[in-house]
Amino acid sequence: MPLLKVEGLSKSFGGLQAVSGVSFQVAEGEILGLIGPNGSGKTTVLNLITGFLQPNAGAIWFCDENVVNLPRHQICRRGIARTFQLTKPFLNITALENVLVGRMYGRQPAPSRKAAEEESLALLERVGLGDKAHSLVKDLSLMQRKKVELARALAAKPKLLLLDEIMAGLNPAEVDDAMHLIREIRSWNITLIVVEHIVKAILGLCDRVVVLNMGEKIAEGAPQEIVHDPHVIEVYLGKVYA
Amino acid sequence: MSRRDIAFIISTLIAAAALAVVPTITTKESVINLLVLVYIYVMMASSWNIIGGIAGQVNLGHAAFFGLGSLVSRILWTKGWPLSISLILGALVPVAFALLIGAPSFKLRGVYFAIGTLAMAQILFITTRNLFPMISSLPTEALSTYSLAPRYYMALGMTLLTVLVVFWLSRSRWGLGMVAVREETSAAESLGVSALQHKLLALCLSALFAGLAGGVFAYYSAGYYLFFPFFPTWTFDAVMATYIGGTGTVIGPIIGAVFYVLVKEILALRFVELHPFIFGTLFILVVLFLPGGMIQIWSRLRRLLVRKSTLAPSAAKEEQVPETNMVHDRPAVE
Repeated sequence: MPLLKVEGLSKSFGGLQAVSGVSFQVAEGEILGLIGPNGSGKTTVLNLITGFLQPNAGAIWFCDENVVNLPRHQICRRGIARTFQLTKPFLNITALENVLVGRMYGRQPAPSRKAAEEESLALLERVGLGDKAHSLVKDLSLMQRKKVELARALAAKPKLLLLDEIMAGLNPAEVDDAMHLIREIRSWNITLIVVEHIVKAILGLCDRVVVLNMGEKIAEGAPQEIVHDPHVIEVYLGKVYA
Repeated sequence: MSRRDIAFIISTLIAAAALAVVPTITTKESVINLLVLVYIYVMMASSWNIIGGIAGQVNLGHAAFFGLGSLVSRILWTKGWPLSISLILGALVPVAFALLIGAPSFKLRGVYFAIGTLAMAQILFITTRNLFPMISSLPTEALSTYSLAPRYYMALGMTLLTVLVVFWLSRSRWGLGMVAVREETSAAESLGVSALQHKLLALCLSALFAGLAGGVFAYYSAGYYLFFPFFPTWTFDAVMATYIGGTGTVIGPIIGAVFYVLVKEILALRFVELHPFIFGTLFILVVLFLPGGMIQIWSRLRRLLVRKSTLAPSAAKEEQVPETNMVHDRPAVE
């Protein structure tokens, strides 16, 4: 049984068909890559799965329940958490308090504030922000804010975690760290959907890749197959190279 | 509870105990009257702060809750109901009203909640002015036995209750969720926080304590026009006191209300009609240059001192400035 099953998902904004008839599945424990050129509908798919947008058609089955039309906080409590491509941290409170929100709400809220604080601190340390726990997030850099968002999403104890371009802007060494961290997250029994542009990360991390172009799924398979798929190459580089 | 939390509760209780002694050492009615006014303003600012400061939803109809609370309490009490029941109902009716207006208006985003609450309060103000144009006076036998002391203790007790509940809220899971909703509603929801529930709870608590303040006013006043507590100035006074003191914090609205009442009394004596203008200017200056309110002066000073001490080679020990849970430098109105 797949953890997540997306069936015939469509979403249009006015005349623009952002996502049309996209279907795919994610098995438990998998890391699924979601790639495609800019504007291909990757973030829209994440927004649809997390209830930030309502689809015009299609179904999203999570643990055998159709989560379409569920309010966002209910979707989180069922076990789907996310980060944002354009970060949305709680700016005027500390990094620790940001993570606390995830830990005190989310899927399995901590029984007490003390426990929640300890676990949140541990998560911040794991993403490398232990020393910034008591800083206001508005005083942190963009990269640090992304880490806060990741820790915050993990604190919600998701079964499925959606990462939206979390590695954008990282240098090669930082990408390696991030890949290591994502593998570790998987070892915590968390399934992942990763939207990413960095080829190295996609090849090195993902078990399977779904390729979108102009809102449609154009390919799906193991990363090695995908990078040799003529259709995918055409979409990224033009017909000459395909 | 942290040491700072315990220190806050203890100092609050000590302050309340000290204030409780005041009627025994002074017989000046003007002092007692001024303090009762301060208490009512602390309740109004602190209760506005729950929805406006902590949950970040700008409510411009706070006078409606205050007015409803005083109206219900006063009518029931002067009709012979027990004072306690009159006050409780005076607090609960505004809560019911808050639910009635909150449920639909929180579906709206942005400025509509502010406009909606302002319109709702004005409608109530005009309606009560038409329905109850008369002065509500205490019956003569009640007037002859009128005593300030029980009013004073009632106001002090209710203020203490308000402050302690706001303090508890600010340290609770619910308070954290409200702050998350204020800071970034959609991110809060993506972490499992129900924005609607948190906004509604904040509005209901806010209405509860504003209604209670109305009840205190009804019990305290010998005679007043029943529509007087519905005046929009009650809203704006509460908003300004909160901002001047420091919105979103527990102590800010208290400091702001004390400062506001005292300065207002002095200005009203000297300039009579000019004081709203002075307060308007002060409000604008605070929002522009000190968006964290008066308590921001304190945290800025501390940061400066810490920076100096860490710069000085002799003071090698690094001290981190602990940030209060709710302090934020950004005004809730944008």
